[in-house]
Amino acid sequence: MNPVRKFRLYLALTLSLVMFGSNVYAQSDPTGTSAVTRTFAITNATLIAKPGSELKEATVVVKNGLIVNVGKNVTIPEDAEVIDATGLYIYPAFIDGMSNTGAKRPDNPQRPQNLFTPDPPNDYAGITPENSVVSQIDINSNTISNLRKVGFGISHAVPYGRMLPGSGSLLILNDAEHMDDILMAKDISLYSQFVGAPGAYPGNVLGIMAKFRNLYRNAELHKKHVELYAQNPSGMERPTNDRVSYAFHPVIAKDKAIMFDADDMLDVRRAIRLKNDLGFNIMVAGVKQGFYVIEDLKAANADVFLSLDLPNKPKDSKDDDKSEEVSRLEERRMEFYNMYVAQAADMEKAGIPFGFSARGASAGKIKTSVITYIENGLSEDAALAALTTNPASAFGISDIVGTVESGKMANLLVSTAPYFTKDSQIKMMFVDGDKHVYEVKEKKARKKSDSESTDEAPAAGGPFAAVLGTWSYTFEVPGQEQTGKMIIKMENGELSGVLTSTDGSPDENMNNINYRDGELTFSMSIDAGGQSVEIVVEGVIEGKEFDAEASVAAFNVSFPLKAVKDEDGK
Amino acid sequence: MKKMKNIFTLLLCLLSTLALAQKPKGDVLFKNGTVLTITNGELENTDVLIRDGKISKIGKDLRAPKGVEVVDISGKFLMPGIIDAHSHIAGSAINEGTSQVTSEVSMEDVVNPLDVQIYRALAGGVTSIHLMHGSANVIGGQNETMKLRYGTTNPDDLRFEGAPRTIKFALGENPTRGGRARGIQPQSRMGVENMIRSSFTQAVAYEKKWEAYNKDTNPRKVAPEYDLRMQTLVDIMNGDIIVHCHSYRADEIYMLMKVFSDFDIPTIVFQHANEAYKVAPELAAFGASASVFADWWAYKLEVYYSTAYNATILQENGVLTSINSDSGELIRHLFHEAAKTQKYGNLSNDAALAMITLNPAKQLGIADRVGSIEEGKDADIAVFDAHPLSIYAIPQMTYIDGVKYFDINNDKSDQRIFINPESSIDEVQLFEKMDYRHRCMEGTAQFFGANLFKHKH
Repeated sequence: MNPVRKFRLYLALTLSLVMFGSNVYAQSDPTGTSAVTRTFAITNATLIAKPGSELKEATVVVKNGLIVNVGKNVTIPEDAEVIDATGLYIYPAFIDGMSNTGAKRPDNPQRPQNLFTPDPPNDYAGITPENSVVSQIDINSNTISNLRKVGFGISHAVPYGRMLPGSGSLLILNDAEHMDDILMAKDISLYSQFVGAPGAYPGNVLGIMAKFRNLYRNAELHKKHVELYAQNPSGMERPTNDRVSYAFHPVIAKDKAIMFDADDMLDVRRAIRLKNDLGFNIMVAGVKQGFYVIEDLKAANADVFLSLDLPNKPKDSKDDDKSEEVSRLEERRMEFYNMYVAQAADMEKAGIPFGFSARGASAGKIKTSVITYIENGLSEDAALAALTTNPASAFGISDIVGTVESGKMANLLVSTAPYFTKDSQIKMMFVDGDKHVYEVKEKKARKKSDSESTDEAPAAGGPFAAVLGTWSYTFEVPGQEQTGKMIIKMENGELSGVLTSTDGSPDENMNNINYRDGELTFSMSIDAGGQSVEIVVEGVIEGKEFDAEASVAAFNVSFPLKAVKDEDGK
Repeated sequence: MKKMKNIFTLLLCLLSTLALAQKPKGDVLFKNGTVLTITNGELENTDVLIRDGKISKIGKDLRAPKGVEVVDISGKFLMPGIIDAHSHIAGSAINEGTSQVTSEVSMEDVVNPLDVQIYRALAGGVTSIHLMHGSANVIGGQNETMKLRYGTTNPDDLRFEGAPRTIKFALGENPTRGGRARGIQPQSRMGVENMIRSSFTQAVAYEKKWEAYNKDTNPRKVAPEYDLRMQTLVDIMNGDIIVHCHSYRADEIYMLMKVFSDFDIPTIVFQHANEAYKVAPELAAFGASASVFADWWAYKLEVYYSTAYNATILQENGVLTSINSDSGELIRHLFHEAAKTQKYGNLSNDAALAMITLNPAKQLGIADRVGSIEEGKDADIAVFDAHPLSIYAIPQMTYIDGVKYFDINNDKSDQRIFINPESSIDEVQLFEKMDYRHRCMEGTAQFFGANLFKHKH
């Protein structure tokens, strides 16, 4: 892509957030208000009301957003829309522990002219704990419907920013006219991350740790001052209206916990150091190296949310001549991969209740990650608890959600098979009593390609026959459509590929190409106006069609990418 | 059983996925080696008994108590573990270079126990390092004194428990370069002095405010603002933190001594101090000490003048002097660096080895625990196949608290304790350019817009 074009794509990606907010992918009922009735009876299903339970031939009655009846022989209200769920499975809808759901990434604060780097303004330093994620939420963001589509009813949304971006809130993942309709609980956590300000204080984790302690200590003094002044202001200096300190007051009073995004174990330990120094209640989310810090998390009494953004399984070289040293190194790398994917099982063994956080994981990756955790030792019951009851109790909403029980909010997941099986698909979601229906795809393509590959000689690409060759793709960025060829080859036992463009721009390399079980994923990094933007493409190949979603994590948006395989590879 | 237990403890430590509540301590009897005590000469055919991580007895024909492992070191040389007074390995970050005074930050928050350079340092006989903040700012962060207990994933296990607090200051080109690039103070050496003086002056006022508050008996008193930066400077003036100052030129070294006299700060350790030999008597009179390179200078204008005799001249003038690495590569052969003081200055064996053991221990305030082979001290020990001041010497084993962390006969080719599952294999090679990259100005490149990889110190 030439620079101008790249910039246009960049603009389009950014603008589309504002202009084309509604989900181009929406398969659910887009208006919500058109429902004839808000009473539903889902009958003859297998109900997993909570982890460890199962009831066959069950009926769940939903009325005005609530579950009003659950059981075998329940009376079906006359006004109910009856949904025959024979052969289907009902679960409580999932709860995400941390992500930027619905939030629009604000423009990076402009570097002020003549910035005094030792003491930048708070918004440049990233110290805005007085903010709320609510001010960043776009109710039309497709991240809300995308997360719902994969089984979630509630998300703990946290704001974008740096060290102290603001408070996180619980969002009900529904289509809404107004923010108020989907805001379940505002500002339930104070959110913090180890992200420094570019070229200003605090610039990295050294400054962040010190600044955090300093802010907290002063907030304690400020709180005391405010309380004394409230008792009797006479003869006392007026406390400053310090919004940063005020934001810490409920934390100091232990009415609110601080949630840290801490993916690696050193960040987890830093968060716990701060907790031990200062004494607040702590939540850690996005954890990827939990296996290193089990005892520490236990001792800190932390609420833990493990990341659903698992590392990709390392690909060992297929080279027959590879040296013994390379094999050894590959083996050790795999050892560590195995530790990452077993962290959930480790937590279960250690008796630490934990939830999951979806941040960083594309919607398509979420279920794969949960299943990977299960394949590596996590029990299905613990996995379901991590998706439902554990986060509900961490966020103090167990009375309202997390199980399918009479009196609770009607947040339900209806799937075509037991959820934790690979082939299960979500057929329906109920969120706050609203029904969302999804198209169930028939998975016959795989069998077909299996038989094809057995017919052909193994030399023709073996298990990768389905992807190798030349494809014609269309990338639908709103207001602009890009077309070209996607050429995938096998070189030295590795998949490699490029995307060409019909407008004559240079080719883009496809990175991290992965093909497994009919799913093709790859990434590209494009230079958009001096900024490198990472695009992750994930999709399903069925026969000669590739149906994918290209997501740009940096802008929290995704666009469809479709491709058709050319005949004869031409 | 005890031996089994030791092996098990070490294994646990090396493979640990759990935080070890207690740091492992070993028991071992070294038989029949040449013991380089530093404080009591070189003792031939001597045994050293380690009990519970401490040197319990030095003598001849010692008998191993029941269950204590015997290590025959006939023909080998046993010395105190090497101490590097200036290191930047094992840190997740080195500089908070955005402000010219950052006394509030501390390297204790960024210790990275997974850094394989820790193992490479152990393989050079090093048992303790002084993980220093960088030199991008005038008053940098607090440093961390560590024992290289490699194999744990918990940074707390690497702390030198009980070591005094230390802090980094920096003079000359590095901090003024940052100031000029950002259009803030200091832009000259005059500005550096002024910044130190005004910082301490502010800290005096800060201390007074808090003293007044603490004395006030009014139950409705209102606290002044808390400032960790100022509080740390107060702690320096109260003698609770040892200042280690990056410096090169004689004039700036002399300047800082005058400033410290004015604020009654009892001591300073000058780091690098390439021109310290020019003010050696003044340093001795002040009670300041120096931690220098053996023979390294002329890598930028302000270090144009120095001499390989620097360490010896300082030592002979009564200035406590150590030799440091400031490098992930040099740290692996600090014994060569110490030996250079014999080529350039004819120092005795004890004096030369003290440069990398007892003297840095004194500068870090840990000489009561380490730095020499004496009964009662920690069993931090390096064993060599030849005299460590010989160019042919190769480190054989390294012990901390009586526990073996390096053994040349059990030196696996891949000693990493962490591997990123998403890394590619060709990134993993023995020779790492990283080791030659100096980190003292890391994180500041954006201010200079220049390639800093060639920069040294």
